[in-house]
Amino acid sequence: MRIKIDNLKAPLFLAWQINSECNLECLHCCEEAGDIIVEKMKEEEIYNFLQQIIELRIPYVAISGGEPLIHPNFKEICEYLSKNGVNLKVETNGEYIDEETAKWFSDLKFRSVQLSLDGVEPSSHEKLRKYGNWHKTVSACEFLIKYKVNTEIVFVPTRFNIHQIGDLIDFAYKLGVYGVYTGKLMRIGRAAINWEIISPTEEQYKEFFKVLEEKMKQYDKKMKIFYYPFDVIEELKYRLRYPAASLLILPDGRVKLIGPLPFICGDLKKETITSVWEKYKKGWKNKRVIEFTKKVINDPKLLSLSNKWIEL
Amino acid sequence: MKLKDFVKFRKEKFGGVIFDTLREKVFITNETGSEVLELIEKNYSVEKIIDYMEENYDVEKEELKEEIEKFILILKENSIIEDEDKN
Repeated sequence: MRIKIDNLKAPLFLAWQINSECNLECLHCCEEAGDIIVEKMKEEEIYNFLQQIIELRIPYVAISGGEPLIHPNFKEICEYLSKNGVNLKVETNGEYIDEETAKWFSDLKFRSVQLSLDGVEPSSHEKLRKYGNWHKTVSACEFLIKYKVNTEIVFVPTRFNIHQIGDLIDFAYKLGVYGVYTGKLMRIGRAAINWEIISPTEEQYKEFFKVLEEKMKQYDKKMKIFYYPFDVIEELKYRLRYPAASLLILPDGRVKLIGPLPFICGDLKKETITSVWEKYKKGWKNKRVIEFTKKVINDPKLLSLSNKWIEL
Repeated sequence: MKLKDFVKFRKEKFGGVIFDTLREKVFITNETGSEVLELIEKNYSVEKIIDYMEENYDVEKEELKEEIEKFILILKENSIIEDEDKN
């Protein structure tokens, strides 16, 4: 049964891009993260925001970036939310996870730690994740699994690593990961800029999904394998009808309607979550949003505007 | 009896919403179901839940017992709640 967001007093999930700084410069990064620092929420604003999350009983927060582990308040934010009953997931490149940090994730009972690992060959992972270190990420997985943290791997298919999906799933199972996530490359952010170099061909995708189906059968009830078979356009068609019960929060506190669209529906530095949530619900019924989304569906090149923010 | 790890419950106007954040599955319940879940969160046993509801609603105990046991079975079948660790 699908839940109608109009009936909910608050979101069920927050996707919080806590920063834009990253030690890597991935060719596909939808946030175009790197060493460019955009304005972040101030500490006082962050704690005001955290307090609202707790009061509204928002059950689940996923923290990403940039690279979230380099945010100066990352640990205290997680500790504050976790100790107040919020389930947490972090999306990271894993390069800052040593044994001590893995134990910390375990002590805080994280819902999961999601790491990006783009193949079984270090060269393809490191080609996609400029400055990335495959061995560091694998080592992070091993530490997390040692401390029984639900560890998820995300695989981003590109034309130079897509053939490794089967081997990556086998490798993930041997490591003991909780789940492998993948799906079609999204033509947004830096991926849109590098599209001609990195996007897989339709033939490659056919083989990719065939392998995924086989692996899902092979690892049924042993390891979660989740793939989203649709591309970003299918996602937009779906979301026009059924908006998610979630908010996407940018490092500066502004809130986006959804990643692939440029629309901003509020600012948590100035407004409460409740007020932004109401604006989010209205946003999906806004004529301008509906018309622009339909334009994007007809002309996916417009996805390159996803980071050119428009206030609603 | 308790909510499973990573399962969260929140009251809403229509009743309540249960979110299994690990499986990323959402369930909804009506006002009565929501009240039972609140009692489970407070560590009430099945017997205590039945007693509480009997005190607060005008309904036959047998009927109430049947309904609540049925609801708890649904919660267990959907991996929303589990029995407390007896160790």
